Amino acid sequence: MSVPDYMQCAEDHQTVVVVVQPMGIVPEDQFFRIYKRIASVSQVSIRDSQRVLFIRFRHHYPPENNEWGDFQTHRKVVGLISVTSCTTAKEWPQTSDRFHGQKEVFGSTLYDSRLLVFGLQGEVAEQQRTDVAFYPSYDDCPDVEKRVEDFVESIFIVLESKRLDRATDKSGDKIQMLCVPFEKKDFVGLDTDSRHYKKRCQGRMRKHVGDLCLQAGMLQDALVHYHMAVELLRSVNDFLWLGAALEGLCSASVIFHYPGGTAGKSGARKPSVSSAADAGKRHRPGALTSSGISADTSAEIGRAKNCLSQEDIIEKYKEAISYYGKYKSAGVIELEACIKAVRVLAIQKRAMEASEFLQNAVYINLGQLSEEEKIQRYSVLSELYELIGFQRKSAFFKRVAAMQCVAPTIPEPGWKACYKLLLETLPGYSLSLDPKDFSKGTHRGWAAVQLRLLHELVYASRRMGNPGLSVRHLSFLLQTMLDFLSDQEKKEVTQSLENYTSKCPGGMEVISLPDGLKLSPVPFTKLPIVRSVSLLNLPVSLRPHKVKGLLGQGLSSASPFIYSPITMHSRGDERSKKIDFQWVQGDVCEVQLMVYNPMPFELRVENMGLLTSGVDFESLPAALSLPAESGLYPVTLVGVPRTAGNITINGYHTSVFGVSSDCLLEGLVGVKSSGCMVEVVPSLPRLQLCTSLPRSAHLSSEDLSTSVSLQLFNGETQQLTITLENIGTETLNTLELTSKTLSTKDGISVTGLPVSSPLRQVLKPRTENKPVGSDASKNEFNHVKTLEAVLTFKYSGGAGQVEGYYRELSLGVRVDVEPSVFFTRVSTLPATSTRQCHLLLDVFNSTEHELTLSAKNNQDLVLHASECQRMAIQVDKLDFDSMPVTDHDALRQATVRQQEEKRQQVQGGLINSTLDIHWTISSIQRHGEASVEGVLNQLILEHLQLAPLQWDVVVNGKPCDCDVIADCRVGDAVPLEVKLTNRSKSAVGPFSLTIVPFQDYQNGVQNYDLQDAVTFIGSNTFYIGTVNPTENSVCVGALLFLYTGDFYLNIKFQDDSTARDLPPAWFCLPSVHIKAQEPVEL
Amino acid sequence: FLICVAIRANYPLYIRSVPTQGELKFHYTVHTSLDVVEEKISGVGKALADQRELYLGLLYPTEDYKVYGYVTNSKVKFVIVVDSSNTSLRDNEIRSMFRKLHNSFTDVMCNPFYNPGDPIQSKAFDSIVSTMMVQAC
Repeated sequence: MSVPDYMQCAEDHQTVVVVVQPMGIVPEDQFFRIYKRIASVSQVSIRDSQRVLFIRFRHHYPPENNEWGDFQTHRKVVGLISVTSCTTAKEWPQTSDRFHGQKEVFGSTLYDSRLLVFGLQGEVAEQQRTDVAFYPSYDDCPDVEKRVEDFVESIFIVLESKRLDRATDKSGDKIQMLCVPFEKKDFVGLDTDSRHYKKRCQGRMRKHVGDLCLQAGMLQDALVHYHMAVELLRSVNDFLWLGAALEGLCSASVIFHYPGGTAGKSGARKPSVSSAADAGKRHRPGALTSSGISADTSAEIGRAKNCLSQEDIIEKYKEAISYYGKYKSAGVIELEACIKAVRVLAIQKRAMEASEFLQNAVYINLGQLSEEEKIQRYSVLSELYELIGFQRKSAFFKRVAAMQCVAPTIPEPGWKACYKLLLETLPGYSLSLDPKDFSKGTHRGWAAVQLRLLHELVYASRRMGNPGLSVRHLSFLLQTMLDFLSDQEKKEVTQSLENYTSKCPGGMEVISLPDGLKLSPVPFTKLPIVRSVSLLNLPVSLRPHKVKGLLGQGLSSASPFIYSPITMHSRGDERSKKIDFQWVQGDVCEVQLMVYNPMPFELRVENMGLLTSGVDFESLPAALSLPAESGLYPVTLVGVPRTAGNITINGYHTSVFGVSSDCLLEGLVGVKSSGCMVEVVPSLPRLQLCTSLPRSAHLSSEDLSTSVSLQLFNGETQQLTITLENIGTETLNTLELTSKTLSTKDGISVTGLPVSSPLRQVLKPRTENKPVGSDASKNEFNHVKTLEAVLTFKYSGGAGQVEGYYRELSLGVRVDVEPSVFFTRVSTLPATSTRQCHLLLDVFNSTEHELTLSAKNNQDLVLHASECQRMAIQVDKLDFDSMPVTDHDALRQATVRQQEEKRQQVQGGLINSTLDIHWTISSIQRHGEASVEGVLNQLILEHLQLAPLQWDVVVNGKPCDCDVIADCRVGDAVPLEVKLTNRSKSAVGPFSLTIVPFQDYQNGVQNYDLQDAVTFIGSNTFYIGTVNPTENSVCVGALLFLYTGDFYLNIKFQDDSTARDLPPAWFCLPSVHIKAQEPVEL
Repeated sequence: FLICVAIRANYPLYIRSVPTQGELKFHYTVHTSLDVVEEKISGVGKALADQRELYLGLLYPTEDYKVYGYVTNSKVKFVIVVDSSNTSLRDNEIRSMFRKLHNSFTDVMCNPFYNPGDPIQSKAFDSIVSTMMVQAC
């Protein structure tokens, strides 16, 4: 006997074997339909008795096994049902012959047989035969079950009669020697008359009767017979049969103890009226039993004595197996006994002992097994280990079975079966194919073993011809086992993955297997590993700003309190935190990932983009290549939000080695993030700024969007043209421009002049120099000073403006001011005219170039490098009071000090424009103006200022001043007019003036004795009454020159007390020069 | 042959074998032996056996190897696999080996820089195992 029945269990000893076989050509599906219906009649209650006959139907049964039928009767084929198709009556005889032929195969052991003929109708089918049933078709056979039941009953009758026959065989007649096939030759020539031999026969027969009793439902009888058999066989050391008797005893006891069966769910028996447990109680002497061995006696001896205890069952099984073990040819019996014992132990929950039985079963050598048998054997071992809770052992054997399916010796490897079995081993190796289970921290498990299994899964699925599956498994392997792969393995795995994906790219879809298993997608979150995710703010120039004061500003927080010391702990969910800057619809937004490549080779990541929700987002995928074992590497992923709202960055997608994956941030471990939600505001226009000057790389402040820097000499003017272009999609509606200067520590400032056009601005740096007293501080002026100013353009438009957002563009202007010319000293000298004075300026050229200085109405002055020269400029005195009045509002608000400063500034400006001093450096084509503002002090200012009392002297209708010579004729009356205009704020006067003529000989002698030469017509003294502010007073007299010559008039004030209160400068009257000439001869 | 394993929560913290070839086979052996260990632990619990006895004895004999087990009170398992032909190692020797392993393991756990559940990389533990292996082979 070479074919073990791995599914056998102890209660199978109770059953009889019926073989159901197709005969001739029967469609397989039809046959199995009929077979199923037949097999449904697995237990039949026998009429007129409480007994039940259990049947094992087999559609295939090796005849070798049948030969062991005497040894254990449940191995004996007692019934045969043949299923055949027969369409014509002509075929019938042939069919009938065949049926007889088939019966021959099991002939010796058959109790009864049946033939089911399908398709035959008519005369032949009419005949009534017990052993043949005719059905018109496979679909039309309503009483198959009934037929089978009848058949079973007829088997039972035979069985029962055999039982009775053997049981009463006690008479001294020669008892037949039952033996197993391999024993037959041993008995040749044995003395059949010896006591020993007889006992042996008796014992074996007892055991045989026990078997029959068990099959016939007489459990108690069976127990009694087995006990007797054990004693008999033990005394003659007939170990094989002793083992069988012990096993029979065990089986009967198991049937008694576990009426539910030991085979597990698949073999669960229908609850039957005469289930073994109460068989004894209910047992009533029936028609058949009454004539046999008294059933009553068996019931009495019954349970208590004959039935083995649960402990004993195992002991006896052990004993039986040890006896079987003595015979090499009884390997199958031993193996089956082991399996049966394991099933019993599993029910008893004695796993340790069960494992010992199984361990034993593993080592039972059944000789050459076919590959299929090996697979079956390992599968069963696996199932049994699972039954006793040894998941790992079970997985181990299942894996071995799987490998057996594809053993190289098998001509057609069963990759599908292999794959299926491998899948079943996963739980045993604590491996789930869901990558989510691996996301929690480092992987922990039997990596080496799991790795092997995954490799096998990959290979099997590939050989199955399902590349998608192998890609999925390989991805899984790479993702979850990355830490355990050596560099070489990493290379190999990725190479094969690339090979697979070239045929079948991996994706994110769930793969469903036919048996219902779903393989969830494997995102490559470790290729590359992402360490941090940070959303980047827009560049400064593109950031949206909220217009302040709009409703809702600052009230967005949920709390009704303006301030609360209780801070809301948003523990844990950092990612849902909203970030406090905004993105703008339609503008490219950036997210920076810090990634690194754990691979020992360059990792090419393609199609890397963002996964977002909340807003339509156009992701612009990037491709990157990370060097081997790179450190943290910044990757910027970009995209454009297409609508406004709150956008959440959920993750990113990549395509690595041909596998595209969606990696969600929530599933990632160790990712730093400062929040992933950001508001997208509606679109805004976008300005681009160009300047006429080159941009400087250096940005003095990060708030600046652009910066220009230039180098100028002090006083130089540079024009800067700024061009703004709206490169966005929205129309620009508003533009606001402000400027700001950044003061430096030297107190130097840049003043932005008023904007002359919205797009033009002239900047003019101006230094406020301190008055310089000594040359020692000259060095100070050699410093290059840096001036900075910021121009800010606020603009808005489109949908964003409606929402109250604007953008700011700022331009930083940085000017490095080099010193040009300095006025080291300033002084004044009175000029000949009262309306003018001389301004003396000591000019120092601090540049390294030759410099030409020019002032209004003045000669150019050439200064060499570092040269200092004095320059005299004749200037008209200035009337500061007539300066333009500044804005009243501004005046009102300003403090006195500010007013004073302002005034001085304006005065300085006026002086500057009056002086109009320019310098030119011809060698480098630079020119600019020089300012005296800073060096002017109060004294000089006073000198430069026009007196508030303005005296105008008009001679002969001609206004006179120092340098003006009035002409007149001798003999003509020369009218003299003195006009006083009061510009001061108070009334002045009265004054009296005396006019004294004199002649200057230009040699220091002045002749005042001119009574003969000049006479006054009228008084030489004038009187001027009180003159109110802004009014004037005129007094008129006349002179008569009697001789030709040059005369001067000295207008003197009478020594008047009122005039003394006023500064003498106010009474600065011009001296009058009159040239008297001969009258014209007419 | 001798293989030493420390296992916590049914995954290995430390596994070492001499010689190193065919290691996968030992992985399988040790992995499957955990079934028996678990069964024994649960059995001990039921029987209320002496809690101080940590040595589980021979887990199961195979044709080539003997697998011994040891479980600490905190359910850390140690498994030693020795060649079946090695008769010099008796039960007592195995027991003392386990005790040494346990002591050394305790030292590893006392290391404040050791993160429970991480693979053991301690050199001290390694050297203890090495000396044991040298003695056994």
